[in-house]
Amino acid sequence: MFRHEVLISGFGGQGVAVAGRILGRSAVAAGLQATMLPSHGTETRGGYVRSQVVIADDDIDSPLVEKPDIFCALSQAAYTRFAQSAAQGVVLYDPETVATGPAPAARSTAVPARGIALESAGTALAANIVMLGVVLRRLNLFPADYAEQALRELMPRHAESNIRALRAGCAHCPHCAG
Amino acid sequence: MKTYFDTGNAAMVEAAVIAGCGLFSGYPITPATEIAEHMSRRLPPAGGLYIQAEDETAALHICIGGALGGLKAMTATSGPGYVLYADPYGWAISAEVPLVIVNAQRVGPVSGITGAPGQGEFYLSRYPTHGGNFETIVLAPNSVQEAFTMTVEAFALAERFRTPVTVLADQLVTDGYASFAVPENEEELRALGLQVVPRRAHPGPDFYPACADIDIPPVVLGRGTGAACSDWTPTEEGYDTEDTVEQMRHARRLIYKIRAHRELVDRYDAYGLENDPDIVLVSYGSPSRVVLGAVKEARRQGLSAGCIRLQSLWPFQDELFRRKADYLVVELNADGQLAREVERAARYPVHFMGACGELPSTAELVRAIRRLERGEALPQSTDEREIR
Repeated sequence: MFRHEVLISGFGGQGVAVAGRILGRSAVAAGLQATMLPSHGTETRGGYVRSQVVIADDDIDSPLVEKPDIFCALSQAAYTRFAQSAAQGVVLYDPETVATGPAPAARSTAVPARGIALESAGTALAANIVMLGVVLRRLNLFPADYAEQALRELMPRHAESNIRALRAGCAHCPHCAG
Repeated sequence: MKTYFDTGNAAMVEAAVIAGCGLFSGYPITPATEIAEHMSRRLPPAGGLYIQAEDETAALHICIGGALGGLKAMTATSGPGYVLYADPYGWAISAEVPLVIVNAQRVGPVSGITGAPGQGEFYLSRYPTHGGNFETIVLAPNSVQEAFTMTVEAFALAERFRTPVTVLADQLVTDGYASFAVPENEEELRALGLQVVPRRAHPGPDFYPACADIDIPPVVLGRGTGAACSDWTPTEEGYDTEDTVEQMRHARRLIYKIRAHRELVDRYDAYGLENDPDIVLVSYGSPSRVVLGAVKEARRQGLSAGCIRLQSLWPFQDELFRRKADYLVVELNADGQLAREVERAARYPVHFMGACGELPSTAELVRAIRRLERGEALPQSTDEREIR
């Protein structure tokens, strides 16, 4: 039996909730159990957003992410707030937006997600999906095809560019240290 | 069964469609707005009506109108809207109008924090209107799948008891994503233990009979039945009366039709009670998910703990708290509402652990169980002498 916890946090408009939703949906499509708790402020843009994703091969008691195996810090504020909780896991951050600061988690791994998104998808908006690709590879629970299918279902108009971002994230993963 | 990965909000809409909901009227509010959004897309193609109201008071009055016109009706809101339902809620209780009311609780009081869960309407759901002289039926889901099943059950109970039924959820249940199964035929519906009770129309003339019976068809106006109803105390024929004997008869029906058939409403789930544990955790809704995980962890660490999760809140299930134990009530408020009710029902010590807007962690709960097992007081308690 296994249980994996993934925390994604940033500010509104970065696709924090979308990334969590695609991760959960693809896990369920792959035959696993998944929960995703989104929390957010009042604003649609800006403000703080968090996705707590739990993936398991059995019923999930608590959907809370208390000790993330993987924490994607998409903003400085998110890093400052949650990096400590991932002390036993790995923190993925974009050095362009997050300075890891004086109290980093045990394993912080830089992923130039914005740059990879611009290169692969032609838009920095896909940085969340690049991170998702890295997360999928790190989890190594199911093929990325399930996430590609989820992207096609949830964002049919922008599926192709996001799939390119996802693949670029997956391809980048082996280069991640830590 | 068809499996979806979606929110509790979406699950409740699918449930309403299956239950034969013919009218949804509501006013948007986080974290229940998605119910209205999904309803506006799902109901019209299924032959139902979607009406966005100008405010919550109007929304529930519109639902009453639809129900009196022969439609199964539903509305959804959060705490700030639920309190505005007070007037029509009483109307529906007294005129015995079947309705389903969803409250996706967020932290309060008043507007509180929009995107954070709360459990502040435990007592408000018992007394959602003024005047007393009634019982209410309240169900409390803790997962997306239960958001689905309990909404179907709420429609059935509303029809059978001729009363509004509240589904008291919270932001984590309504906004949270998980997979849930939706039955695609009658057989699969029954496999989930669910039934759909069709809407009927009372033929009269005793629209408000002097008895505690259920399964009496509801009052429907305009079908040649000669039915009458209003917000005044009714005679058995539905006419207004100022006779206090009639008032007592009406009050006793509203109370005892529910009290006499509690077995149809009572629902709970328990874990680890078989060896009479020293500490029994009590909760409902989202906190119960963390509580279950914490109790399993505490037992792995050799602590003597079990838990009771209430799936129906009202009428309150006093009998569940007769066993000798220290009860630890965990809820998403700092004032201890469920804790107060457990204190009333239990004959043994009752402790309280409250949180505001954020679930307590597994570690905090296990620590609390350990302290209680050692006979130490908790930092928080409903007993103000123990507040640190």
